[in-house]
Amino acid sequence: MVINLKQLYQGRRQFLAGVLATGLAPSPTWADAGSPAFLSAAAKPDGTYVLCGISQNLEVVFQIELPSRGHAAVAHPTQPEAVAFARRPGTFALIVDCINGAPKTILTAPGGRHFNGHGVYSLGAEFLFTTENDYDAGRGCVGVWDVKSGYARIDEFDSGGIGPHDIKRLPNSDILVIANGGIDTHPDTGRVKLNIPTMQPNLSYFQDGKFIETVALKAELHKNSIRHLSVNQMGDVAFGIQIQNNNTFSSLVGLHSRGQEIDFLKAPSNEIRRLKGYIGSITFSSDTKSIAATSPRGGVIHIYDTAKRKLRNLTEIPDVCGIVAKDFGYCITAGTGKIINLSDNGAKIEALSTLRWDNHLIAI
Amino acid sequence: MKKLMLFFIYMIGSAISVVPTDQAIVEDVVKAHILPRFKALAVVSEKLVYAAEDDCSAKSLTLRNALRDAFDAWISVSHLRFGPTEKENRGFALAFWPDIRGSAPRSLARLITNQDTVVFSPIEFSKISVATRGFYAMEFLIYDQKLNKLGSSDYKCQLVQALAGDIFETSTKISDDWHNNYAKLLLEPGAGSTYYSSNEALREVFKSIVGGLQFTSQARLGLPLGTFERPRPKKAESWRSNGSAHNVKLSLTSLHDLTMRLTLQYPGLKKRLGDSFDRSLILLENLKDPNFSGVSEPQSRLKIEVVQQSIDALNDTIKNELGPKLGVFVGFNALDGD
Repeated sequence: MVINLKQLYQGRRQFLAGVLATGLAPSPTWADAGSPAFLSAAAKPDGTYVLCGISQNLEVVFQIELPSRGHAAVAHPTQPEAVAFARRPGTFALIVDCINGAPKTILTAPGGRHFNGHGVYSLGAEFLFTTENDYDAGRGCVGVWDVKSGYARIDEFDSGGIGPHDIKRLPNSDILVIANGGIDTHPDTGRVKLNIPTMQPNLSYFQDGKFIETVALKAELHKNSIRHLSVNQMGDVAFGIQIQNNNTFSSLVGLHSRGQEIDFLKAPSNEIRRLKGYIGSITFSSDTKSIAATSPRGGVIHIYDTAKRKLRNLTEIPDVCGIVAKDFGYCITAGTGKIINLSDNGAKIEALSTLRWDNHLIAI
Repeated sequence: MKKLMLFFIYMIGSAISVVPTDQAIVEDVVKAHILPRFKALAVVSEKLVYAAEDDCSAKSLTLRNALRDAFDAWISVSHLRFGPTEKENRGFALAFWPDIRGSAPRSLARLITNQDTVVFSPIEFSKISVATRGFYAMEFLIYDQKLNKLGSSDYKCQLVQALAGDIFETSTKISDDWHNNYAKLLLEPGAGSTYYSSNEALREVFKSIVGGLQFTSQARLGLPLGTFERPRPKKAESWRSNGSAHNVKLSLTSLHDLTMRLTLQYPGLKKRLGDSFDRSLILLENLKDPNFSGVSEPQSRLKIEVVQQSIDALNDTIKNELGPKLGVFVGFNALDGD
């Protein structure tokens, strides 16, 4: 079932009127189909874009049309509600009811800003934080949205670097960690990178909007763009890198704990090479003993031993990208349409959809 | 029966002889496309040094022509962004563009105002920001009216010569690296080397076509187009020297050459892609708009958009039809920066 959102995208106020007038309200069939366990953006065979709810049984239980390609989503920590973000340099974010797939409202990036595809809620879910590009200034920033007032934009702060991408919250705290990928872009030149010679990626930590710590890669690694993050219960941060030159590289997955130096996770050079310089998504396993990193370009998932800091095993899946930790292992999506439950012992349960799954899968 | 057998043997034989291997294609690309173009870049960059020594004034026609020739040689290799151009930021030191933040004008003006002595030392000059070096900086210095009025002409003469010398130095390094080192890496792939197989080497070359067309579409055309409400004619590449459309033409011509070399095995596709390149070039020619100033008028703007769309369509065909034939899997999730 597909919900048409034309009215929604004409503006929030019109949308609210539209919902009442046209009965966009949830249909009982959503509940019949079962509540979704995951969310992911996708492309349909006709080239249009949707946000999908996926059930525990790997069935697509709802699809919501998106005005352009989506990227990641983030779940509200306590309510059955999630935000789906436009792909960089998109300017919309969609708030969705996760029980029935009904769109609730739409956020639009303020003038001069675009979303970078990721966001996170504060501990008490009072606020939503979104990574954004203040593109005329070439400055990374974090937008602050007030959840109670229907996601009103109330503030923003500097992200501590250029090109902020993923953002996560450390457990039981309001400390945010941001992957400043370091790459300057401008909507006028689409996705052309403007500052490769001088890029300086970093991980920056913030508390209550105040900068508290940053850690950068060594100067010789300045073209290693830190883009995606996963945080475990201890507050350790695993990150995945995308390389901006085609020189050889020794690791694309790192680990950082506040107050310490960055550690890179090791793998044989032949296996590192297969990642093709690109990690698409990263996650700690639910027991945090492993870190899984997907490479859609290499069609491979690397699973690292967190304690030993080295590659433990790998699984080949073409165009693999989205990944979520589950008790049994991982749930994984691929651009080929596959949704896969991958258990720790390598066993797979697969479902195939005609949708091309986008970069990130999230659990709700 | 025997005749039939002979016929089949003949058919198989001729099929083998006309289908070039990946290795043969890479050899052709390296020897006939890549190496001569980088050699040419080094040669014309040397001529730029002599021209700057002869007459360094911004108005000098000799200097302007020498810059145009060297710049042309760069545009014709500007899609080959792997290997030697990516070492030590050499490619950026020759060509820092797009310069959305206006770094080049600011830092050039600073050098001139401060009469910075960095221009007297080639080694020190090679360490300054890439935004202040290379073809775009030199073009700016020669053609920008504000800079023409700023500071002493003696100092600007030194700056022109420093820029030319630095361009020559960088171009030579890239060309030498290609001839003495990187060509071999593409031609002699193997386990443990940069490329494990000639197919991998071929894919690297393929990526430069897709990336080159994308850059020409998004930056060379997309930047001046801006949006309908806010066109940006003064953001066009080389608009000051009336070289914007000329650069697009050179880039397409070079990418056309490379694409034809990669499609030898597929005559049907080769023909279609060849026609598409021709069509884009004709559409471009018909604009009769050397610096894309037409982006600001709805009618002429539409025609520039059509050129851009024709390049995007061409690139889609290359990605979707040529890519899979070369074993390049263009995934949904494999795009940069996602």
